[in-house]
Amino acid sequence: MASPSSFQSQIYRSLPEIERAEAIVDRISTAISLGLLKVGERLPAEAALSEMFGVGGATLREALTALRDQGIVETRRGRSGGSFVVKQPQTQADAMRAWFLSTSISEIRDIGDEHAAIAAATIRLACERAEAHDFERLQELARSLVLAHSPEHRASADSRFHVELAVAAQSPRLANAEIRLQQETVQQLWTPLAVAFDPETATAEHLELVRAVAQDQPEKAQALVLGHIRRNIFHLIDTKLTVGYAQSNQDAQ
Amino acid sequence: MKLDNEVVHAAHALAHWTGGVLAEINHLARNVAELVELNLAGRPKVDESSLLGLEVLSREFLAKNTFAVGAGTFFAAQSVEAEGHIFEWWSRGQSGSIAKLDADLTPGSNRYYDYEKLPFFSTAASTGEQTLWGPYIDYLGFEEYIITLTAPFSLHGTFAGVAGCDILVKDLEPLIMPDLRAIPDNAALVNASNRVIMGNSGMYLVGERIKPGSPEDQQRMDLDVPHLGLSLVYGS
Repeated sequence: MASPSSFQSQIYRSLPEIERAEAIVDRISTAISLGLLKVGERLPAEAALSEMFGVGGATLREALTALRDQGIVETRRGRSGGSFVVKQPQTQADAMRAWFLSTSISEIRDIGDEHAAIAAATIRLACERAEAHDFERLQELARSLVLAHSPEHRASADSRFHVELAVAAQSPRLANAEIRLQQETVQQLWTPLAVAFDPETATAEHLELVRAVAQDQPEKAQALVLGHIRRNIFHLIDTKLTVGYAQSNQDAQ
Repeated sequence: MKLDNEVVHAAHALAHWTGGVLAEINHLARNVAELVELNLAGRPKVDESSLLGLEVLSREFLAKNTFAVGAGTFFAAQSVEAEGHIFEWWSRGQSGSIAKLDADLTPGSNRYYDYEKLPFFSTAASTGEQTLWGPYIDYLGFEEYIITLTAPFSLHGTFAGVAGCDILVKDLEPLIMPDLRAIPDNAALVNASNRVIMGNSGMYLVGERIKPGSPEDQQRMDLDVPHLGLSLVYGS
């Protein structure tokens, strides 16, 4: 199994761009919504965070201030002090809407292309490497999607399932790639903006995937996972078309 | 049929838009040729001194045509002093500032940008007409997912290179999607090599190929734009 520390290094990996304080806020908020960081958990010390993110102390403090202002973390003083996760950040429909407006169909298709590549390799390895207790765990994770009561929890459950497939495939690198891809799209998938996404269908597909893995049928599992991702991407594109071009459609009618 | 009317209407709108871009790059190519001939002052081959003023032409083009992310000129080696390679291309950065595109022009180097082999150059060179290449990843050049439109130009009556512009695929989307969305059926704008430039649904995704033997009820309407080979595919 991939050690938790490889997930942690993925959350705290160094940042490519400027606007770093904002990116840190995003990274930590997303990690919390994905359940990778839990309420009550203590973030690493400021010096360690600065170093992992590759930013100066001022930028990091700016990010922590923003997280505190949003009520997501709380900083306590003293010997057992530090910054603690105190609340699940709300999925912001506005933020999702902004994502759909600023992301083109070509970019969404490209995310799907990468996700298809990662998921196909992951599921084949999972067929080879997973064992009985993995099947049970994956089945349980698949069911937790349909049991989730809010879009945020569905997003958490959905991404958790896919990351754990990579965990069952015994590949930290694939797990990291899966986490990155989930962070990029899972909120977009479940936030109801245009057409709601059906958790029962997604759960049924997840369960079918587990069955194919359990029966060690790599061809079938790969075909299923590719179909699953294709459906997700089509949903994102439909949402993009509705959010971004609804007006032009109405004009034409 | 209603659908056909809507397709005709969209084809007309797309042809009109593309025609406008072609007029702009033809104008650019003419200006480039005039300027370089003036700079050459009778000398036969292009060198650094012949390029004076090309930057202004590119910047003016980009200022006027905000849909374009880059614009400029690629010279044919045969028109350049000592068969060298010269291109003068300016692109908008993410901050909006315009910078000269730089690429490795050393033959044999592993990052060699052999632009004469790229279809936006070679097709214009071999046909003597405007051309559209893409969508493609301009690896080692601008390194983005773009389409490039070029027009050939001549110096002293001999083909000497191409001038034109780049458009980011993601910038193209809001410009032509409204026309495509006016078609109620699945539809896509397709380039001369049957690659989807843009589709109005998940059925036709940018970059995919329309393979021969596609569904029978798939129909096609050519766009009335010379030389580019654009068409609308729709149905099923």
